[in-house]
Amino acid sequence: MFELLGIPPQVLMGQLLLGLINGSFYAVLSLGLAVIFGLLNIINFSHGAQYMLGGFVAWMLLTYFGIGYWWALILAPLVVGATGLVLERLALSKLYHLDHLYGLLLTFGVALIIQGLFRNYYGISGQPYQIPEILSGGQNLGFMFLPNYRAWVVVASVIVCFGTWFMIEKTRLGAYLRAATENPVLVGAFGINVPRMIMLTYAFGVGLAGFAGVLAAPIYSVNPNMGADLIIVVFAVVVIGGMGSIMGAILTGYGLGVIEGLTRVFYPEGSAVVIFVIMAIVLMIKPEGLFGRGA
Amino acid sequence: MMRSIALGTAAVAALTGTAYAQETIDVTLGVLNDRSGTYADLSGEGSVIAARMAVEDFNAEEKGLNVEILSADHQNKPDVGSNIARQWYEQEGVDAILDVPTSSVALAVADISNQMGGVLLNSGAGSTELTQGQCAPTTIHWTYDTAALAKGTGQAITEAGADKWYFLTADYAFGHSLEENTMNVVEEAGGEVVGSVRHPFPATDFSSFLLQAQASGADVIGLANAGGDTVNAIKQASEFGITQSGQSLAALLMFISDVHALSPETAQGLQLTEAFYWDQNDETREWSSRFEERHNAKPTMVHAGVYSAAMHYLRAVEAVGSTNNEEVVAHMKANSFDDPLFGEGYVRADGRVIHDMYLFEVKAPADSEGEWDLYEQKAVIAGEEAFLPMIDECDFSSEG
Amino acid sequence: MSDTATHSRKDATAGAPLLEVRGLEGWYGESHVLHGIDFDVREGEVVTLLGRNGAGKTSTLLAIMGILEKRKGTVLYGGTETIGMQPRHIARLGIALCPEERGIFASLNVEENLMLPPRIQEGGLSVERIYDLFPNLKERRRSQGTKLSGGEQQMLAIARILRTGARLLLLDEPTEGLAPVIVQQIGHTIKALKAEGFTIVLVEQNFRFAASVADRHHVVDQGRVVDMIPGEDLEANIDKLHAYLGV
Repeated sequence: MFELLGIPPQVLMGQLLLGLINGSFYAVLSLGLAVIFGLLNIINFSHGAQYMLGGFVAWMLLTYFGIGYWWALILAPLVVGATGLVLERLALSKLYHLDHLYGLLLTFGVALIIQGLFRNYYGISGQPYQIPEILSGGQNLGFMFLPNYRAWVVVASVIVCFGTWFMIEKTRLGAYLRAATENPVLVGAFGINVPRMIMLTYAFGVGLAGFAGVLAAPIYSVNPNMGADLIIVVFAVVVIGGMGSIMGAILTGYGLGVIEGLTRVFYPEGSAVVIFVIMAIVLMIKPEGLFGRGA
Repeated sequence: MMRSIALGTAAVAALTGTAYAQETIDVTLGVLNDRSGTYADLSGEGSVIAARMAVEDFNAEEKGLNVEILSADHQNKPDVGSNIARQWYEQEGVDAILDVPTSSVALAVADISNQMGGVLLNSGAGSTELTQGQCAPTTIHWTYDTAALAKGTGQAITEAGADKWYFLTADYAFGHSLEENTMNVVEEAGGEVVGSVRHPFPATDFSSFLLQAQASGADVIGLANAGGDTVNAIKQASEFGITQSGQSLAALLMFISDVHALSPETAQGLQLTEAFYWDQNDETREWSSRFEERHNAKPTMVHAGVYSAAMHYLRAVEAVGSTNNEEVVAHMKANSFDDPLFGEGYVRADGRVIHDMYLFEVKAPADSEGEWDLYEQKAVIAGEEAFLPMIDECDFSSEG
Repeated sequence: MSDTATHSRKDATAGAPLLEVRGLEGWYGESHVLHGIDFDVREGEVVTLLGRNGAGKTSTLLAIMGILEKRKGTVLYGGTETIGMQPRHIARLGIALCPEERGIFASLNVEENLMLPPRIQEGGLSVERIYDLFPNLKERRRSQGTKLSGGEQQMLAIARILRTGARLLLLDEPTEGLAPVIVQQIGHTIKALKAEGFTIVLVEQNFRFAASVADRHHVVDQGRVVDMIPGEDLEANIDKLHAYLGV
């Protein structure tokens, strides 16, 4: 049997698939960031905290109200989106006339506050959240055992990513969004309520983070820091893909998940930094990102 | 300002004038640990509560000790921890620092304590270096170390017949040390190490590493990591059907807070070594329920260690009649203890505290009668066997 | 054109002008650019604002549209005071702007650009009618908006505000930088729009072009309207106008 650099092909296939699963989270999260950055020009540093909120809301729905995973998958993003709505209205909207840096600082502060509060109330060890009955177990693919839930994660993320892409690139609503990204003043002068659109876009982007949080709840422990570590990687993904590029964010998310997966086989110690190395290289060669439209 | 000084004087006068003829000794204890990160649940505020309980249970006030407790978050960063420790000794008059999980921080603080006339009563950190290569006369390492964990878990499992090991190791000092210690124990017990993989710290996704472990054909996957990393690895091992396919998991460092987070559904059958479990005897149960009233969780062995270490320290201060670090440490080493939480034990000349360790197995959900009814005791490892022997360079008895 | 549109126009002609601008002042940040603009536009008229670069013509359109951040004075549209309103509310009354830089969106194709402004009331042109007026746009409707030639982009910028039902069109230098043959075509378009009943305020520097399409001309200088010349008197006042425009 042939081997590639000493790695049997079965193992390689397995790792590619696992990379794709991780890439699913990167894709959904970086997509949300890209959508928000596109219209609001704000680097949403609270994205990780909002992802964590998604996981926690799912857990709370189950623990306090007995509402299960499937409803949580719909309700939690709505709840998280609603918190985003409030944040945008009460705070972010006051900063649009200032430098982008202020939005970044605000969202960073908000993230610290949210994570601190949850740490205070729920501790750091995390809360258990079980995989829904219907998705427990898995398939033996020959080269690996694929848990059904992980397969679902890929499917759900592809659906959400494609749906978002379609909405933004192919619908009338998306046309408003793209136009407002380019020239919000003129779009407002056509009679469109741009502030409301910005608010809803932020809520939507944040809702995507919440959605990813629910997806993650059954496989990673639901804990207040779950987003803090992940978000740094996701920022790197967005930078590599190009700020504000929808398709770029999606493709880079999946792609980097796979690359990271491969690194875990060939050089596990490097798997934590490989994405940042790629980011540094991309910034040197193509500073606007692989899919960026240019500065 | 004037008023508070006046009040203070009045209070001292009242105190000295009535009940006590002797002078009060001011003792300041600093609880330095992780209050927000991975180790916040196993140490954190719980350790501060444990220290406070020690002061109360010791009746410090009646015995003429005026004890103040400070606490701070070292964020698992050696530079942050060193700065706080230095400031505590220089400006706050701290006499002893307690807890200090995360080995890299603990080693830094051990050095500073030694230089600045303090004492490190370590409960939270695991590195054997604290009493071996980087030992110091003022370090006392109370609760556990990686060698004891390796001994408990590694030896018991290998001798039970699962002798092919694969290690999943957190890629930093602690992980390496735990891996190395366990490898030695496994090989001594006649087992074989078939491979290992080092994962970044901290990590969320372990599936890739677990599949590599699965492909290795090992009987046991040893998790040489801690906290959230261990929790996630175990959770994902169950998801990927690794335990179902016949391989077993050994958590080389795991605390009851982690097991609680995993729930018995996921963690059942897991073997692990600890120095303390709340449900061992009447004394541990009594203390733990008092602790739970104040902290909403059962204590971890780190919390218990902070309590017992503080107790033993206060006894020494009372006996010596001062907080002079050399005299206090000498007294602590010279006098063995019989502790409600750790049983009989003593502080060895190198600062290693010798007490029994226990091998536990996580109960199946059906056998668990409550949220915290999690362990069944499988074996007792006598203190003399559990910990590494003292090395000559660290024998401070001649100087003491 | 629907009945309601025809109807409302009659009402307006009968009473006050459709647009009444009185003492309009405006600022860009600290810089005071409009010092009291006064003019009227009646239903169905085409009027121009002529003047030198920097005289305040474009600023006047932006102030009417509500885009200029700070403004005061009076702008009545159909009798409604709009001076305190947001641009989107002003747009909803039936005013539409075709900006000087044309504002074609690069991330939208031609058809998306055309369909972007929402319909605000009855009486807009149908898409078929728009494609009749601008056959080029139909051919290129799948192209990216900014891939069009300058003339086509200008056509598109005008075309997209015809669909919405807006009755007052503010056109900012639609002939700027375009070839004579295209300018001519735009002239035809404006006449066609007048025939359709649109009311138009045209900002121009090209006064020959302005003369060919407009009913009245307002001369703007240093943020004020300094003169008004009816279309038929333009020849007689040509020297005065040259002096104003500094030609």
